[in-house]
Amino acid sequence: MPSAIVTRDLRKNYRVASRAPGLKAAARALFNRTYKDVHAVAGVSFSIEPGERVGFLGPNGAGKTTTLKMLAGLLHPTSGEARVLDYEPRRRATDFLKQITLVMGNKQQLLWDLPPAETFALNRAIYEIEPRLFNETLAEISQLLELGDLVNKPARQLSLGERMKCELCAALLHRPKVLFLDEPTIGLDVSLQATVRSFIRAYNERFGATVILTSHYMDDVAALCPRVIVIDRGALIYDGALTELVQRVRPDKRITVRLSRPVEKITLSSLGELVEHEPTRAVLQVKSNALQASVAALMALPLVDLSVEDPPLEDVMRDLFAAQRKGLA
Amino acid sequence: MGRYFRLFATQVRYSLTVAAQYRLDFLIEALLSVFTAATAIVPLFVVFKSGRTVAGWSWQEALVVFGWFVFLKAVLEGAITPSLTAVVDHIRKGTLDFVLLKPADAQFLVSTAKFEPQRIVDATAAIGVLVWALRALGHVPTLAEISTSFLMLIAALLVLYSLWILVVSVAFIAVRVDNLSFFFSSLFDAARWPSSVFRGAWRIVFTFVVPLALMTTVPAQALLGKLSFGTAALSITGALLFAATARAIWIVAIGKYTSAGG
Repeated sequence: MPSAIVTRDLRKNYRVASRAPGLKAAARALFNRTYKDVHAVAGVSFSIEPGERVGFLGPNGAGKTTTLKMLAGLLHPTSGEARVLDYEPRRRATDFLKQITLVMGNKQQLLWDLPPAETFALNRAIYEIEPRLFNETLAEISQLLELGDLVNKPARQLSLGERMKCELCAALLHRPKVLFLDEPTIGLDVSLQATVRSFIRAYNERFGATVILTSHYMDDVAALCPRVIVIDRGALIYDGALTELVQRVRPDKRITVRLSRPVEKITLSSLGELVEHEPTRAVLQVKSNALQASVAALMALPLVDLSVEDPPLEDVMRDLFAAQRKGLA
Repeated sequence: MGRYFRLFATQVRYSLTVAAQYRLDFLIEALLSVFTAATAIVPLFVVFKSGRTVAGWSWQEALVVFGWFVFLKAVLEGAITPSLTAVVDHIRKGTLDFVLLKPADAQFLVSTAKFEPQRIVDATAAIGVLVWALRALGHVPTLAEISTSFLMLIAALLVLYSLWILVVSVAFIAVRVDNLSFFFSSLFDAARWPSSVFRGAWRIVFTFVVPLALMTTVPAQALLGKLSFGTAALSITGALLFAATARAIWIVAIGKYTSAGG
């Protein structure tokens, strides 16, 4: 089977007028404009197989959204190649658009003054979905997202979370094969984030859809994406398994212990780097290869509980980008 | 084709639903627009009082032009402006993304997104004015005159619509075009006068830049049985040419879309 998504040396430059701040500079820029090229995406190549769930990571302004928009056909690449389901996205072929979707956490497509059910019906007409299939899909999604009666309330009366659930529903009624999700959980509370995550996973498994996800909530990525693509300043800096990335950037583990009585700080810090310390609880950071020795030593203390975890993904990313910046400097 | 007709019907239905949801707004807006139309007639009263003619147009004939003006304005504000104002907003907020992602013609989708059914009240008032003026003139238009008049009206709408599409195309590059739309509607206000009233530079502007003559004077002439075949043919050809140009520019502009926000 051919890859679902392929990009080769994909680039997008924006030409922006640059000027110094202040009124004087603004007046001067009216007559004598200087432009500079911003390389939003500077030669990115990767391929994604059908049914994969891939996390797209990078700091703000790294080029994630620009890449997604090029793949969805919204932006025309400056150079390089993008192919999605063997279509060239920029041509916006009807058959292509019927098989993809883009969900943006910070933008909404629901008709503001009408209940979401009306937006769904409009999308049914636009995507030419057969009534039977439409009802089936709607019932299934409604159940997974627990939409219930929400679909009959005007969109402007819904809470952010309720609206996001309806947005997802509206975006998936045509059963797209490729999902571009740009910060789909932004602003949602923890339990809704979890609902959205498990919904995305369920959709992916049920329909074998390919998913690309960008998110600032590392929990989203950790829960959903076995594979991650990391870009920084428009360039790809990592493409592979999430576990390997963690191994490579932060080859250490976190041991959390709960103690039945206080233990001296000095005893604990001799066993690893002490990250947190309370009288009866401590978090230690140790190198992977020293893990066994540290755990063995901890067993000698008055333990109530002990758990070993990877460092938080946020820390991994921060270290990765810091190392990247240093390498460039 | 059938699909686009269905889509069109769906979009109109939504606008009706929204309008019905806000009954009071509907009433107020309908009353306001009739009031606006009524005040627009005042300058004509002043100019034409005491039964004199201006540039060969009598008071009643000028009233036919005015009637078409109100009718055209009703169609414009009921069916064209709301959608296209919404696009400018879409571009600014970046939600045009959703329109461009849909597997249907983007120009069609943005052009049919919103209607204001309350303008039907103005349109009805306009027909009242036309009937009154024609009776005062003692002219009963033939079926041919009425249909030619409507054909000219459609040509005029095509031109207005194309002008709007051009404005929106500029919005892809300039973003802030709210002001441009004010400029556009104030220019359009000049269409309440018979076109031969304008002289010199204005005449050139209103013939070639914003073809006002085509919009109200020509349909009025058709209704009065004063329209030559040549002018009619020219109007239709001009309108089609205008629409084709606007479409071509729209397609180029969409390629330059940069999608706002994150």
